[in-house]
Amino acid sequence: MATITAQGKPAKVSGPPRPPARRRGRRTRRIQSNLTGYAFLLGAVVCFAVFSWYPMIRGIVMSFQRTRRGETTWVGWDNYERIVNDPSFWTAWKNTFYFTALALILGYAVPFLVAILLNEFRHAKGYLRILVYLPVMLPPASALFLFKYYAYDPSDAGLFNAILKFLHLPTSEWMQSTTMTMPAMVIASTWMNMGAAVLIYLAALQNIPGELYEAAEVDGAGIWRRIWNVTIPQTKLILSLMAMLQIVATMQLFIEPLILANGAGTQDSATSVAYLIYQHGFFQNDLNGAAALGVIMLVVLGGFSFVYVRLTSRQDET
Amino acid sequence: MTQPEFPKGRTMSAPLFRRVVAVAAAAGVAGLSLAACSTKGDDDGSSSAGGKVSITVDCQPVASQKELLANWNADVDAFQKENPNIEIKSVSVGTQCNNPPDFTARLQGGTTTDVFYGYMTDLQQVLDSGQVMDITEYVSASTVSTWDSVDAGAKAAFTDGGKVYGIPTKNYSMGLVYNKNLFQQAGLDVKNPPKTWAEVREAAKKISALGNGIAGYSEYSAGNTGGWHFTAELYSLGGQMVTEDGKKADFNNPMGKQVLQTLKDMRFTDNSVGEKQLLQWPDLLTNAGAGKVGMFIGAPDATQAIVTQFQGKYQDWAMGPMPGQDGAAKATLGGGEGYFFKKGLSKEQVEAGLKWLAYQKLTPGKGQFDYVRAKPQNYPVGLPQPQLFTVGSAAYGQELEQRKANANITVEDFAVFENNPVPVKVEPPNAQAIYAVLDAAMSAVLTDPKANVDQLLKTAEDKVNQVLATGGTGS
Amino acid sequence: MTRTLISSAQMRRGRGKYMYWTLLTVVIVVFTLVFVGPLYWMVTGALKSGQEIAQTPPTLWPEDPRLTNYTDAWHQLDLAKLLFNTFYYAAGALVFQLVLDTAAAYALSKLRPAFGNVILALMLATLMIPAMVLIIPQYVTVIDLPILHVNLLDSPLALWLPAVANAFNIFLLKRFFDSIPEEIMSAAIMDGATPLRTLWSIILPMSRPILGVVSIFAVTAVWKDFLWPKLVMPSPETRTVSVGIYAFSGGTPMNVVVAAAVIAAIPTIVFFLIFQKSIMSGLTAGSLKG
Repeated sequence: MATITAQGKPAKVSGPPRPPARRRGRRTRRIQSNLTGYAFLLGAVVCFAVFSWYPMIRGIVMSFQRTRRGETTWVGWDNYERIVNDPSFWTAWKNTFYFTALALILGYAVPFLVAILLNEFRHAKGYLRILVYLPVMLPPASALFLFKYYAYDPSDAGLFNAILKFLHLPTSEWMQSTTMTMPAMVIASTWMNMGAAVLIYLAALQNIPGELYEAAEVDGAGIWRRIWNVTIPQTKLILSLMAMLQIVATMQLFIEPLILANGAGTQDSATSVAYLIYQHGFFQNDLNGAAALGVIMLVVLGGFSFVYVRLTSRQDET
Repeated sequence: MTQPEFPKGRTMSAPLFRRVVAVAAAAGVAGLSLAACSTKGDDDGSSSAGGKVSITVDCQPVASQKELLANWNADVDAFQKENPNIEIKSVSVGTQCNNPPDFTARLQGGTTTDVFYGYMTDLQQVLDSGQVMDITEYVSASTVSTWDSVDAGAKAAFTDGGKVYGIPTKNYSMGLVYNKNLFQQAGLDVKNPPKTWAEVREAAKKISALGNGIAGYSEYSAGNTGGWHFTAELYSLGGQMVTEDGKKADFNNPMGKQVLQTLKDMRFTDNSVGEKQLLQWPDLLTNAGAGKVGMFIGAPDATQAIVTQFQGKYQDWAMGPMPGQDGAAKATLGGGEGYFFKKGLSKEQVEAGLKWLAYQKLTPGKGQFDYVRAKPQNYPVGLPQPQLFTVGSAAYGQELEQRKANANITVEDFAVFENNPVPVKVEPPNAQAIYAVLDAAMSAVLTDPKANVDQLLKTAEDKVNQVLATGGTGS
Repeated sequence: MTRTLISSAQMRRGRGKYMYWTLLTVVIVVFTLVFVGPLYWMVTGALKSGQEIAQTPPTLWPEDPRLTNYTDAWHQLDLAKLLFNTFYYAAGALVFQLVLDTAAAYALSKLRPAFGNVILALMLATLMIPAMVLIIPQYVTVIDLPILHVNLLDSPLALWLPAVANAFNIFLLKRFFDSIPEEIMSAAIMDGATPLRTLWSIILPMSRPILGVVSIFAVTAVWKDFLWPKLVMPSPETRTVSVGIYAFSGGTPMNVVVAAAVIAAIPTIVFFLIFQKSIMSGLTAGSLKG
């Protein structure tokens, strides 16, 4: 996020040149302009305070408390102990990281490559864009029930298995197989979400000056070299921003396991951290434990952002 | 980031500006007023303005349960006519009135209705939420005329420390539900369902030999329902999920092993439970409704769901007692449902709620027992439930007589179940957490030919011990 | 048309031309199969009987197409209500975000009150915190709002107000406003225009591309969200489409669920096809260039 905050700060805080004024007038005017500024900020700040900043503190407080029969008591690290000892705790983290990694390979690289491909076509551009974006418009539950009931049917009546069989390839049990559960969820998730990423990449690609490709071609660079030396460096900012957004998004994996895998999946192969939060909060009636798991997730993502900021700021320096 | 386009002389006119501001303000106001409505809903009832008492009641049937919904609404109308000073506001909360995560959310959010539905096993969670009212002083034969006939065990499930917190309205236990058609086609004796797990296995083989995607026996393994059925099957062998003191898991033994091994053999040796696994409640009942399931473990009301929601025919279904090891099951998982009263209700409201429950749920010939009305409907009458009244009591006699007289199912189809009662055992403590653990073992034996039953049980045992050791969650 | 990876000239010549048209055809066919194929499968699948859907190999076109699944889905699930709810929530979230986030970004970019940077930094910090981390304390907050002690469950405000706390949109807007030259602002102030007037008549008309992008993000966020609306809109009358279909699936045969999923998708797809031009140009012409 270094890139964002670094550039997000205004270069200089001083305003436009103002006509010279008497000192007192300037001061009242500054107070007045501050007040106007705060008035404009008020709505958003209240929303942030009530729904972001306060819940963050509340979450930490809750994670050290226990509420029973309307009475709240301090319980120290009990909730954390219970959560870390939850049978699915480590599995959930392993699954979530695995999903994030797979989604980076598939859900991150594929839209970029598709965007590069689409950017080359001089015909049918509109049609192809609509196609790619179409699944984004489906309600997520619609798309996932389609995959659950029709595509990932483990018998040969399923869409994917019928295609594999037609091609004389081995069929799969999909969500019933511990090894295929995650890839299957990534495929469904990529299918229904990639449209937005493709369009954002397309916008970035259209901004690359044509002369750069021209110059590279003159230097004798082939297509792959041109992608490596021109396309990627020219879209570096957006690529790294999207990587970050995607990692934060995939860490929240929830609806895919809930619908595709009926929750935990076969032998816990689909349990995600987010699902575990839900399982504790709403199946086991343990909001405090769920809040503790939220805090743990916060710490993990905080660590990740720290690394990310470090890496990107170093890149910016070089 | 892009550079902005510079203005092309397009500025918003003042009237337009005012209009937009007005719209935005209106949106805000509309939102606020809606918020006010939603919070008002609960307080609204506590006042009995003009002598009229109003209460909200949940578990109204959903639109897909056409006739049940019509019956409910007719009951409300009739009741309000009899009691002009009471207003019943019905709330529908879904096909399963108590879907654990939604139920929990309602308790936490304080959005339960004044009189709210719950399972017998929910009492602890409901007490923990601090949302329930002690109604001991209101409940007696004078407010609920059949109260003294209500089964003592069912009453006890809604009682804690001598205080009554809810009114039981249904009481059931699990058995073997089977499809008569498929039994006939497979050459099995319809009148004589399997009584042991070995017989279940044999029958399942014959039924699945019919082909056409039919599973001889079907089993859950997802969404905590797998663990629930593991429990039921373990009970049938005489086992228990946790030790008497509630501190340790108690299923890593030959009985637990047998439950899993039998299922694994049925799946991979006999191939008699179907290829599609990872089922939960609606998945299994969809298949059952489509005539693709020979047998499964369930309560009598499973056939109701198959008929009313999953396009099945009740004429197809019969029920036997829970199978056991070498004869009758040692125990069967029992449960029941009832209604709790939300904290803070006025005396009049509690009395109105009790009156309504007495009318719709606890009077032979009325409401849920109006068999004359239900008989011509697409709704099975004559099922051996709700087992609400003590055998031999007055209400029991009336209910039984009317049920038999108006039965639209073949009562004999359920006679084997009814005439061979099995001791009822309730759910373990921390049921949902334990069920979540056992889902993994159930899904393993049903999807993985290489699953190691001993290993699965050991892992599950460790996990359940962890759940119990860290204090559980009190639900 | 600017030059891309491969020059247009190369594509128009002999082998290049042949390659181009082959690739284009392959891509059109493959993309159609990948992105429309599953939708076709879904629409026709819900026309099949329970027997036929379990048949191996599956049939491409239903042998005996029947509409009962669709009519059942329509009658049993109040889809019209669910769709209305979803659009209503999306529209409200859009209005709230456009009004409050634009105002905030304008203040941070142009009015710059004291400690504006601190506020901005606090807002941006929330970008790194996914919704899931805060879901439990946020939920508890909505049940019992601090100070006011109001319960927002089942009120659209429970979706609209948290949507305003969207650092990404504020950031996009602020970045855009930053790039508007100060001279324009000072000229307006010299003319005696109030800050509100300046925002309305000068800044906003210049910011249409970014407002388009923010609008699309605001609407899709409501559209795609699941767990939060599931928690704060629990009653059947206030559910969103996705939550409603999910709840429906808990007591309904599979084919009827899929039929419901199809019906729920139709209005948005139609909406998308009608407005695809503006949506596409909004997203691509927009803000996020490298």
